[in-house]
Amino acid sequence: MFSRLPAKRLKRLRLMTQNARPAGVLASLLLLTLLLGGCAASPELRDSSYQTLPAHAELDDVPFYPQEKYQCGPAALATVLNYSPAAQDASRNAWTANNAEATSPAEHSDKAQDVTDNDSAEISVDSLIVQVFIPGREGSVQPEMLATARRHQRLAFPVRPTFDALLGHVAAGDPVVVMQNLSLPAWPMWHYAVVIGYDLADETLTLRSGETRRQTLSFARFDATWARSQRWGFILAKPGRIPADVTAKRAVDAISAYEALHGAKATLSSWQALSVAQPQNAMGHFALGNAYYAINRLEKAAQAFKHAAAIDDTLGVAWLNLGLVYQQQDNHREARSALEKAAALPGSWQQQARTALDTL
Amino acid sequence: MPYLRRYVAMLLIAVMALVSLPVAAAQTAGLVSTQSALQADSAASDRERINDVLARADVQEQLLAQGVSVDQVQDRVASLSDAETRQMADQLDQMPAGAGGGVIGALFAVFIILLVTDILGLTNVFPFTR
Repeated sequence: MFSRLPAKRLKRLRLMTQNARPAGVLASLLLLTLLLGGCAASPELRDSSYQTLPAHAELDDVPFYPQEKYQCGPAALATVLNYSPAAQDASRNAWTANNAEATSPAEHSDKAQDVTDNDSAEISVDSLIVQVFIPGREGSVQPEMLATARRHQRLAFPVRPTFDALLGHVAAGDPVVVMQNLSLPAWPMWHYAVVIGYDLADETLTLRSGETRRQTLSFARFDATWARSQRWGFILAKPGRIPADVTAKRAVDAISAYEALHGAKATLSSWQALSVAQPQNAMGHFALGNAYYAINRLEKAAQAFKHAAAIDDTLGVAWLNLGLVYQQQDNHREARSALEKAAALPGSWQQQARTALDTL
Repeated sequence: MPYLRRYVAMLLIAVMALVSLPVAAAQTAGLVSTQSALQADSAASDRERINDVLARADVQEQLLAQGVSVDQVQDRVASLSDAETRQMADQLDQMPAGAGGGVIGALFAVFIILLVTDILGLTNVFPFTR
């Protein structure tokens, strides 16, 4: 009895001294976070955003798929994949292939068929889990989120990493899948959610997130968690629609990735829409030319390459492809002049242009 | 596994060499594809293509090791773009994986810190702080 008491006291004493150091660390960390408190300030929106954005927006029709366990990736994907707003096709700034030059009737009926097929079937969270979840990581990674959307006939456009762009997409009718780190960088808690609305006066965002159908977060808190993923997010569009406010480079990359998976025929409508939505995007016209060429419409292909070269005179690859198309049409005079342009431009395609000139 | 990779690499080189022979002959008429124009370097494009195929094999191997089912893995890798494949091959281990709501190692100190940062509006871990 007697001999045990001091031992107990000793143990308690040791425990106290052990706790002293973590307590000190804790106190200094608290101080640090208090000093960092300034970071939680509301993100600054551009003045122009205040003038152009509606004061309030919420996409009520976006469905909700509560996540199970670690499956916020599949749940967020199901949320946006199963959202096809009726209003979006005729939406304010977005361009659809209908606005673009008319395609032949046969292609049109093909496209209509595709769309109705997609609309009828709901894409379940379970079917997405096997496509995007990585068991060993207990989560889903960003490239596969984009790739999986592509498998379901959607183009995935990463958004510009700014708060203005985020609100702009929501206002234009596109729910945005965002990646957040809900915790601190030292103990990350990565999470996908879908931004569906905002209120400028209250400075709040509305999200479909985790198990919450309608989560409201302040701009400041959301931006603190979003900034930790370098403000990563994406929006989806069916082929033939270019969402408003997508940068030239991101648009071309997204459509090109879709083309690599589904082929030129399925992607032509998107290139057409891009050429209308971003008429000054030379790479877009170049890619449109390639898509026409792939379905054997050389006339249209030549026209698109010419357009690309007219916008950017130094785009050697457009001159090169233009020359090669003319060559196939046995239009040797035009072929020579285009290939000579390409051969005169220093860069990656010079050699190929010279070889082509030799065989002319 | 290293054997498998070497075997795949050798096989690929052989296939590529064979495939490129007839193509090279008829190459004059072939247009430059959008995908290779975006990579913007024709001199490196053949090497790049071999690297891309190897990267895909690499990603496939990694996903299998991480428990992705065999009948899914091919379709998953096929739907990645070249740039995404390279990114995955290089840094799948360090890549953030969105899971949403795992309980972080139950350290009491961490709990307190996150509680405070939650109250400060820096994080969003505990719903009851709002």
